[in-house]
Amino acid sequence: MFKFQDFDGKIVALRAEMTTPAVRILTTKMASTPKPIRLFYISNVFRYSQSYLEREREFWQAGIELIGCNTPEADGEVLSLLASSLKKLGLKELRIDVGHAGLLKNLLKATGLDKEKKSVLQGLLGHRNEEQLKKFMNQNNFSSELKEAFLQLSSCRRLEDLSSVLLKSSRYRKTRNYLKALLEVKEALANYGVEKLVFFDFSLVRKIEYYSGIVFEASVPNLGLPLGGGGRYDNLIEKFGKLKMPATGFAVEIEKCLKALTAQSFQLPEEGKVKVLVTSRFRDTAVKAVNVIRNADVVALLDLKKSSKKEILKYAKLNEIDYAVFTDSSLEKPALIYNIKLDTAKNMTIKTFLKNVKKGDF
Amino acid sequence: MKRKIRIAIPSKGRLNPPSIQTLQNAGINILRKERTYISETSDPRFEIIFARAFDVPIYVQYGAADLGITGHDIILERQAEVHELLDLGFGKCQLVVAVTENLDAHSVKDLPAVARVATEYPNLSQKYFENAGKQVEILVIRGTAELAPTLGLAQIIVDITETGETLRRNKLKVLDTVLESTCRLACNKIAYRVFENEINELVDKLRGGGLTE
Repeated sequence: MFKFQDFDGKIVALRAEMTTPAVRILTTKMASTPKPIRLFYISNVFRYSQSYLEREREFWQAGIELIGCNTPEADGEVLSLLASSLKKLGLKELRIDVGHAGLLKNLLKATGLDKEKKSVLQGLLGHRNEEQLKKFMNQNNFSSELKEAFLQLSSCRRLEDLSSVLLKSSRYRKTRNYLKALLEVKEALANYGVEKLVFFDFSLVRKIEYYSGIVFEASVPNLGLPLGGGGRYDNLIEKFGKLKMPATGFAVEIEKCLKALTAQSFQLPEEGKVKVLVTSRFRDTAVKAVNVIRNADVVALLDLKKSSKKEILKYAKLNEIDYAVFTDSSLEKPALIYNIKLDTAKNMTIKTFLKNVKKGDF
Repeated sequence: MKRKIRIAIPSKGRLNPPSIQTLQNAGINILRKERTYISETSDPRFEIIFARAFDVPIYVQYGAADLGITGHDIILERQAEVHELLDLGFGKCQLVVAVTENLDAHSVKDLPAVARVATEYPNLSQKYFENAGKQVEILVIRGTAELAPTLGLAQIIVDITETGETLRRNKLKVLDTVLESTCRLACNKIAYRVFENEINELVDKLRGGGLTE
């Protein structure tokens, strides 16, 4: 985070993400709005990045928050909205990996390991290396039930695989509830028709601390960084005051989506707007012609320099202008109109010209 | 068809030949054309890019390469968030704290409270001296940190050594080892999800190729 000192000595910071500001506004300005509340934002955020492959410090994010609801339907809605938004951008081979912050936290706590060993364990879970994981768990005297749970969770690749994870002792009741909730989210995703895009990754963690439930990241094979992600944060809102409300949401990184689209050779559709350059020996008719053309929703530029014909045509060509219009002393009289791309010229009134342009004629 | 999986390996220096050899043992022969930075391999699923060993972790973290071969010391120094899938065994070295032979110091404790350190490893050095309770000023040097004491640039260096030979030749003595390192196979986190089968097959082949543990 970028932090600096204000003139009165207070520490101020640039926002690094939008969820916290959104929640702050919610608690101060929207406390009585009926729940659930659905918010969206498109905003710039500021972060330091050590990589010289990513020099930017300002990033644009588009995101949503769904506040006041913790049903599997709410998690399903947020995940399917993420999937459909990114698909609508034109991204191919999209996948969303889902984890659960509460599930992982609970089971890590159950191991009784110190902080350092926990991070080693998390690394091993990330590699999904069964052999090393077994070795580590044996060295650290895991109970056979816990060992089995870690191995099973680490091998689950889809949400439906979670139904095979067994944790019978009463001390894992909370963990069992998390697993049940994930399976219900899977049902919701199937109804939305996006379950094929969604994978399970037990080791998935997001760098932000406030997540309490399901967490997720979207990616495509062409880009080595997540395009966006989010998760459930049921305990954040209460930190801002009296309100206590569950919530979930996601943010998509706009620059990364653009990079991924470029990597997938995505072509922007042609703009398709006709551009016209207008000039005349008679200044007043040129200005009037520009107005008429603009009112017809065609882009019109006025030659500001009384350039020669040769200069006009050259300028038009270099700037990808479609037509150059040389008006006469009045708008009713035919103007000389060059089609720059075809390199042809015709005489017609501005009115006829606009009609022809609209029809795609000339 | 899926795109190729890109492996970044050190383009030169001591880590380059064993990296090429290790891949060869796993059945991946690099078909290197002169003056290219991306090479095809005998396995059509993989391609190789040549990069500075110090840049490999960053290439992998940001997905410019899916896999990378480089030192554990370098991955830690660059603070790269990557999976270290495999210890490749070669490139064994220690990152050490060294001073001139005639300095009256037998351990880091004996060093002056304020000193200057020349190193290629500013992040690891900073962390080390913080833990040791020493305030140091760090000078980032590329390549020849062992010259710094002779030139009066810094009293202390933090640098890697394999045998200690270069240090002895420059009249330096080792006070402490910051960490022991070997070469690792690093993997981008998203690539590991997308290409899990192909990457695990490669890891098995690298193991089967007989790593020099």
